[in-house]
Amino acid sequence: MDEIIRLDNVTKVYDGGTQALGGVTLSLKDEWTTIVGPSGSGKTTLLNVIGCLDTPTTGTVHIAGKTVTGVNKAELTKLRRKHIGLVFQQYHLVPYLTALENVMLAQYYYGTTDEAKVVNALKNVGLGHRLDHLPAHLSGGEQQRVCIARALINEPTILLADEPTGNLDQTNGQAVLELIQNLREAGHAIVLVTHNQDIVKLGDRTIRIVDGTVAWDSALGGGDHGEQ
Amino acid sequence: MGIISVLMGAAVLTALLTVSLSVSDNIGQEFTKYGANLILQPQSNRIEIGLPGVGMGSVTEQRYINESDLWMIKTQQMGAKVIGFSPFLYQVVRVDNGSATQDAVLAGTYFNKTIQIPHPVPPQNLETVSTSVADVSPWWKVTGKWITDQNDTSSVMVGSKVAQNLGISIGQSLKVSYAGDQNGTAQTKTRDLTVVGIIDSGGSEDSQIFTNLPVAQDLSSRPGKVHTVQVSALCNACPVEDIAAAIKEKLPYVEGTSIKQLTTVEANTLAKYQDMMGLVTGITLIASMLGIFTTMTANVVERRREIGLMKSIGADNRSVALLFLTEAAITGLVGSIAGFAVGIVLAQFIGLNVFATSIPVRWEVLAVVIPVSIGTSLLASALPVRRATSIEPAIVLRGE
Ligand SMILES: Nc1ncnc2c1ncn2[C@@H]1O[C@H](COP(=O)(O)OP(=O)(O)O)[C@@H](O)[C@H]1O
Ligand SMILES: [Mg+2]
Repeated sequence: MDEIIRLDNVTKVYDGGTQALGGVTLSLKDEWTTIVGPSGSGKTTLLNVIGCLDTPTTGTVHIAGKTVTGVNKAELTKLRRKHIGLVFQQYHLVPYLTALENVMLAQYYYGTTDEAKVVNALKNVGLGHRLDHLPAHLSGGEQQRVCIARALINEPTILLADEPTGNLDQTNGQAVLELIQNLREAGHAIVLVTHNQDIVKLGDRTIRIVDGTVAWDSALGGGDHGEQ
Repeated sequence: MGIISVLMGAAVLTALLTVSLSVSDNIGQEFTKYGANLILQPQSNRIEIGLPGVGMGSVTEQRYINESDLWMIKTQQMGAKVIGFSPFLYQVVRVDNGSATQDAVLAGTYFNKTIQIPHPVPPQNLETVSTSVADVSPWWKVTGKWITDQNDTSSVMVGSKVAQNLGISIGQSLKVSYAGDQNGTAQTKTRDLTVVGIIDSGGSEDSQIFTNLPVAQDLSSRPGKVHTVQVSALCNACPVEDIAAAIKEKLPYVEGTSIKQLTTVEANTLAKYQDMMGLVTGITLIASMLGIFTTMTANVVERRREIGLMKSIGADNRSVALLFLTEAAITGLVGSIAGFAVGIVLAQFIGLNVFATSIPVRWEVLAVVIPVSIGTSLLASALPVRRATSIEPAIVLRGE
């Protein structure tokens, strides 16, 4: 397995002085990595840094062999388009665009649009019959599946998901998780944040973040799972 | 809210431009409508009577303008602006229609006169000049006919008051006699003239009678002489005094005086109106920009999650800026068209109340109002758009 993401001694201090990450060193491969940890421990900040949505205060980040640290915002945008797919807890869709258009928007920013490919992607997430629906006319599970289709439409190297099932019921959550499992089979790297122990079991590797540092990493072993 | 702001600015701008265009056109037309706006007279020489320092009064030497000089009115530097001119030679005559007599002023003038120009002068190089009293007096209401032939020496046109006093009707024959002295001996000349038309001008012409100039020159034995010349010059922006000066250059013994017509008053009103509307438009456009700025800023703040989302899925600053600038441009376009409609109504209101005239729609105003409105919308959106492009994509994951 190849190394896809590498963080070296990454810190993040927000403007207010809050230290969200306190020196994180990590190497992630093309597998399913689950991030767990208490609320406010820095999980979302970590995803932002990996996803090129935010820059670390110190330390270096490498995505797919490229050094991300020190590049300007326009470069970050390009890297994001090419390598990152994002799924959020609140299924963020543009409210005045249909399911089809929401997915096409990601293609549009990437360069070219291909409607047939989008239709296919929506069929793959079970929404072939909902192409022309506005987000307001889709259920939560359906909206989240549109988000997954959008995250994957440009075939990103990495899928980042921040509590993707947090707002879904059992059935819809299950459907979304199945989609993510398929992605792992297809060779994408997945980094998923969750509180749910059942979801943790689906992943290949678990990392526990506490107070902005790696408290436990299943790849390194250790008995207490970091839960003092 | 943004559209309303654009609409306001566009409406006021439309009203300003539409009224200005229509009224300044009107003023041009009214120069012709109101006829003569320049009167030429010979410079009068005052001859002092009495001993030096002991003034005993003065007499004004009676002088004339030579008819043979009149063509120069048309060939002088600004001759192209002269629509027409007509000379006048005045004399008091006794009018007798068989049943009554009355003294009246006989004015000899030009009816459809064609003058051969002795030597063409650049820049116009005219060979002939055609002119008529009708060019300087277009407001005359004539019952019957005008005198149409410059060689007609037997026809007369009669002012309405003279006609009323003597009970004159068209086709009647008048005996017109002039008592003057010829070489020191009293002598009366009489002409038989046929009335072809009655003039109602509402002015002093109603008490006068009119013939071709040679008739008057012959009656009073003043061949080749005229007292005054009325000139109708089409000069929308330039002062008519400039034309007077240009004539004086060719005819130094002639003094031009402008006749203040209604048009001058209107031109002043228009200038004042334009100043005021310019100010109001300026203020409205600034207010309109503030309105657009506020709306756009609120729009950006309200949609910051949407902007963050677009950035997180790969939108660059250009795409985000383009999204909001397109919205601003559409707001500008729609607002300007609606504002144009409102502005036309406003223009009507101003036209009727300030200029007492209705104002037609001027479509060319749209060609100014649309780009100005779109331009101000874009300009007012510059800061809000900067704000939009500086939104961080990271806000999306934080769920703010
Ligand atoms: N934009 C921000 N400005 C200031 N502090 C922030 C910001 N975002 C997050 N934080 C703080 O950083 C810490 C880590 O937050 P976060 O990464 O969201 O944790 P988690 O996702 O594990 O709940 C928290 O203390 C949080 O309050
Ligand atoms: Mg979080």
